[in-house]
Amino acid sequence: MNETLVLILLVLIVGCGLGSAMFRSMLHSAVSLALLSATLAIVMMMMGATWAGLFELSVCAGLVTVIFVSAISLTQPIRRHPEHSEDHHRRFMALPFILIVVGVAMIATVLLGHFAVNPVLQPETAETAATFKEVFWGSRQADILGQIIVILAGAFAVVILFKEGSEA
Amino acid sequence: MSVFNIAVIIAALMLIFIGLFMLVRTNNLIRVIIAIEVVMKAITLLLIFAGYMNGQMALAQSFVITMIVVEVVVAVVAAGVALSIYRRNNDTDIRKLNKLNG
Repeated sequence: MNETLVLILLVLIVGCGLGSAMFRSMLHSAVSLALLSATLAIVMMMMGATWAGLFELSVCAGLVTVIFVSAISLTQPIRRHPEHSEDHHRRFMALPFILIVVGVAMIATVLLGHFAVNPVLQPETAETAATFKEVFWGSRQADILGQIIVILAGAFAVVILFKEGSEA
Repeated sequence: MSVFNIAVIIAALMLIFIGLFMLVRTNNLIRVIIAIEVVMKAITLLLIFAGYMNGQMALAQSFVITMIVVEVVVAVVAAGVALSIYRRNNDTDIRKLNKLNG
């Protein structure tokens, strides 16, 4: 794994997260979130999580962005509100500076030795670990049942929310 | 600890901070959903990093896929609720959601 490339992508991820908070236009925020998801998917693939990366790219960067853009286009009035833009700018103006301070504080904490992450197994032993197919379809079958129930619950919730003539 | 490990943890913590800052400072319902998504991305990154560190990437991927499913359902239902509120109030400002005040 090219660690330098992953470090650059991590900076991009934080930048996209910052963009999703700072942009005045909500459409730009949603696109920034999609870029964050796509970059995260690349990082996941580079770390060896190919299947999770594929799901992240197709579902989170694709489907969720479509949902957000649809919701934004249905709820945003066509005319602009400059006073709201100024208000948003004022609210989030301090975020980059606070983030720099928090980042420096975290780096200092790690360098001073107050925080450490020690692997239980070394990455070299990953070859002997179970494959994704064995884990997902074998030992984690209850998760699949849970996922199906969650999807059905979401579908029923949307049906009830948009029921014709509903007061909800 | 290597620079790579430190960078991943700091990036994830910064994303969580950005998401929480958004949650606290915004008044728009859709921005609240975007903030929750940003925090969930950070947790996804931490899960994958944990799998990478422990050599249990298959298990980490299984958890991440479950989390992605939950994330999508949360986004869909929350967007539906936001639309429903917009239809009723003609606005997505959370300060105006006081009709259930006791």
